[in-house]
Parts: sequence; C-alpha cells; structure tokens
Amino acid sequence: MFSIPSIAFYVLSVVAIGSALVVVTSRNVFHSALALTGTLAVVAGFFVLLGADFLAAGQVLIYVGGVMIIMLFVVMFSQTPLDALQRQTNSQWLWGLLFGAAVAAALVRSFRGAYRAVTVVSEMRPTSAAIGRLLLGDMLVPFEAVSLVLLAALVGAVVFAQDRKVSK
Amino acid sequence: MTLYHFLAVSAALFSIGIYGVLTRRNILGILMSIELMFNAANINLVAFNHYLHPGGLWGQGIALFVITLAAAEAVVGLSLVLSIYRTIKSVYTEDMNILHG
Repeated sequence: MFSIPSIAFYVLSVVAIGSALVVVTSRNVFHSALALTGTLAVVAGFFVLLGADFLAAGQVLIYVGGVMIIMLFVVMFSQTPLDALQRQTNSQWLWGLLFGAAVAAALVRSFRGAYRAVTVVSEMRPTSAAIGRLLLGDMLVPFEAVSLVLLAALVGAVVFAQDRKVSK
Repeated sequence: MTLYHFLAVSAALFSIGIYGVLTRRNILGILMSIELMFNAANINLVAFNHYLHPGGLWGQGIALFVITLAAAEAVVGLSLVLSIYRTIKSVYTEDMNILHG
C-alpha cells in the first residue's frame, strides 16, 4: 500500500511543515535561518519526487548555497545578545494566526474539490537538456529580461550596501 | 500521493509564511517568511506541471525564474537591511519610522 515515494513524501512533508513552523516561531533569528535552510532543502526533495531533477539541483545551489549564506551573514552581522530576550512577534499575532489559518483552510478546501483524483505514474527522465532548449527557445525573452534584472540587483546591492563615509 | 497532497503541503507552507510576514517584528524574519511563500508557489508550479502536463516543462521553467528573482530580491533586501541597520542600529520594524508623517 505504501510505496517508497509516498513514504518519502510524508516524511518530507512533516519535516517541511515542522521546520517552517520553527522559522516563524523561533525567538532566535539564527535558529530561524537554520530551520529555513532545512525547509529549502526539503523543498528540493519535493522537486525530486515530482521529477524535476534540474530544478532540485538549482534549488540546492541557489537557495541553500547562495541565498541562505547571505542571510546567515546578515543575521550574524545584525544580532545583538539582547535580541534573544525580546519578543519576536508583534501585538497582532492572534489576528495573524487566524488569517493564516483561514488562508490555509480556504486553499485546502478549494483544492480538494478540484484535484483529489489526479494521479499520474511516470518514470524519472533527465530534464536538463529539455529545459535548456526551452530557455533558449520559447522562453528566450524572459530569460534575457531576467539577466537584466540580475544585473540591476547586483548594482543595487552594491549601491545600497556601500558605506557612505568610505566613499567620501 | 496525488496532486492534492502536494497542493495541501504547499498551502500549509504558504499560510505559515503569511503568518510570519504578518507577525514577525524582526525584518530578517519577514524576509525569511517571504522565501517560504516563494517556495510554496514553486511547489505548486512544479506539481501542476508534473500531474496535469506530464510532457511539458513550462511549469519548471517558470519555477526556475521564480528562484532567480527570489535570489535577486533577497540580495537587494538584505543589502537594504544592512544599510538600515547601519543607520538606526536596529532590525525591528517598529523602529523604522523616520519617514512617518
């Protein structure tokens, strides 16, 4: 009854939701960042289960290897020892909890009616060659636009993060 | 393991992200919650691609763009956080009120 992919799916789901809860509830932002690293790695596992091998590798390289390193750097740069003693939620946490629960309930309800029975059995095939053809074919214009966005982000990050006193 | 299972997990991740965005005081926590919401959307894109269009790759391609843009957003956002921290020595959102009327 339980195949290996579905066991893997349930284990990954529990880890993903548990570490996501740590991300939003932990008092220590450093622990939040570590839990977020775990969530992002588990999402790469979901991509593997869905047959998206190239995307899983990209998720690990870009998110776990790139974004999280920068985020941990900023967390360590801006933490003071007093932060561990402060409340990390604002006074509206109850309303936020209710709103989040309402969104979750609405999404789950609407999906259950539409997609409960959809299931497919397909073998794993490497997708990198086909994705390369897609990116340089039908998706060429957004691909080039994204390179411009990345250049703008690079310049913007340097401009925002430079120290004014040094440049004078 | 049907499409509905993946959609339910991603709905849970998305609403946890919404809760974090609405309630964290620390701006770094808000950025992390936004990353959670991006990832929930990515799971949805790839799951719809896998179950409803097994031969196609557009969902994965768009998810790749989402990852790229999320990385760009994180870099710019974190450099803004660094700049704000250098100016007001705080990462809590209620202290960032220099522009208030």
